[in-house]
Amino acid sequence: MSTLPKAAPATSRWDRAIDWVDDRVNLSELFSFLTHFGLIYTPIDTKRPLRDVLHQVRTTPLESYARWPHILGLLTALLFGLEAVSGILLAFYYQPTTLSAYDSTRSIVRDVMLGWLVHHVHMWGSYLLCGVVLVRMLRLFWDGLYKAPREILWFSAVGLAWLVIQLDFTGLLLPWDVKSYWAAQRGLEIVWSLPIVGPLFSTLVGGRTMSEDVLNRFYVLHIIVLPLMYLGFVYLTFATMRRVGLSRIAGAVPKLTTFRRHVSDLIVITLLLFAGLVTLATLMPYQFHGAADPYQTPKGTLPPWYMLAPYALFQLPIPRWIPGLGLLAVALALPFLPAIVKGAGERLDEKRLRMAGLGVFGLWLVLSVLGALVDRK
Amino acid sequence: MAGSEGRTEQPQGGESGPGRRQFLRTLSGAFLGIWALGGAGALAAYMRAPEEDHSSTDRIVRIGKLDELRIGEARLVRHGVSPFFVIRTGSESVIALSAVCTHVRCILDYDHERRGLVCPCHDGRFDLNGNVVSGPPPRALPTYEVSTRAGEVFVRV
Ligand code: FES
Repeated sequence: MSTLPKAAPATSRWDRAIDWVDDRVNLSELFSFLTHFGLIYTPIDTKRPLRDVLHQVRTTPLESYARWPHILGLLTALLFGLEAVSGILLAFYYQPTTLSAYDSTRSIVRDVMLGWLVHHVHMWGSYLLCGVVLVRMLRLFWDGLYKAPREILWFSAVGLAWLVIQLDFTGLLLPWDVKSYWAAQRGLEIVWSLPIVGPLFSTLVGGRTMSEDVLNRFYVLHIIVLPLMYLGFVYLTFATMRRVGLSRIAGAVPKLTTFRRHVSDLIVITLLLFAGLVTLATLMPYQFHGAADPYQTPKGTLPPWYMLAPYALFQLPIPRWIPGLGLLAVALALPFLPAIVKGAGERLDEKRLRMAGLGVFGLWLVLSVLGALVDRK
Repeated sequence: MAGSEGRTEQPQGGESGPGRRQFLRTLSGAFLGIWALGGAGALAAYMRAPEEDHSSTDRIVRIGKLDELRIGEARLVRHGVSPFFVIRTGSESVIALSAVCTHVRCILDYDHERRGLVCPCHDGRFDLNGNVVSGPPPRALPTYEVSTRAGEVFVRV
């Protein structure tokens, strides 16, 4: 304990104020919250006073994750933060009922001051988040970062990817726009085809077809349940990182930076990200197509992009549960990839595995393109 | 927690000690298990949304006057999550069949010329008996019973 550096005695008012509070509340414990959610990952001793802890954090050099390729993980957390903030703002005006969902979304975009910005940033953020979790999974797979001791990191990467997809799916329906309504309806059909999980899911969301219930439950899932689970996985990700450290290419020496540099990097990245989102939101805003009419299907609606592959299989004259089972098998196999690889032992060398993964990914891409062409007639 | 405690402490109560402890542990496990099951069951029961068209009065839908339907004309009845078409095929005959495509649930259109239903999504086609004529739909459309009383048309769904 005594070897740890101590902060200088309190001189300014500010220091004294901190000490005053710290004597009454364990501020270090509160601060350690930030370490759990990724700002820093220097291990800290929460029994020490906050100013000592801060001093220690400030003076310990660390390996910054604000760099490629670690930045992918950072972005999954940062974008989530932006989505949370814009989402909360949207919830101030949005009304999840079949009668007013469309109008309230419209009015956020049209009438509320800067409402369009919040809405479109939220939308673009979700697109980026989908892309980021996907690329991150590919890169973790490619670099073999599911192997011991990183199994849990891989597990939570897959968990985050599934959650992002579910968040996107539940969020898609909320504007109750023609396109989003029918896309979500298609999606429900695909979810329904999953053996066992499908019926369970539709019990959870209140039915196989769209209704007031489904809209309301999608809303609850979208704004409370799924985000909380997401936070859980973000925590798990940073927790594994504190234990097993950042990944690095074999033989490379860790590049250490100062804490100050790390924080300024984080700030710059956040600002750039926000600026990028604002630019996208301004240049390519969300297109409204009119309120959904449950009794009229427009031509050429597609399910959301991550469901295009099973959707392509739906056009084949085979029972639904076959693509459903395939999808479920992939979904369940993915988090357990480390165990599967370990079980296969020597038979699977790195190269073959990579090729197999690439093959699956390629197949998925091809099927998705086919699925996208289904409705284009 | 309970496991490590059991190992470190010496059983005090003579020979019946470990056996009894084990028994109590199993009992509490079973007890908690029953509670968990009950909780899960209650949660599932709560999450199951009540069916919308449950009451018997809802099962018979009044469509309107027979005279208002022209022969060969189809009317889309916006009935909850299962809309259907009512089609007058002759002076006395009226049929009703689901308007939801069995493929991926698009709402069908009535094709006046070919006297059938056509899907706007993947061009699935059904005849007026609900059978699939062409396209990807895997199943025939459900049809509903129609009755006419005092010049009014009713459909049992
Ligand atoms: S939904 Fe009707 S043919 Fe595909």
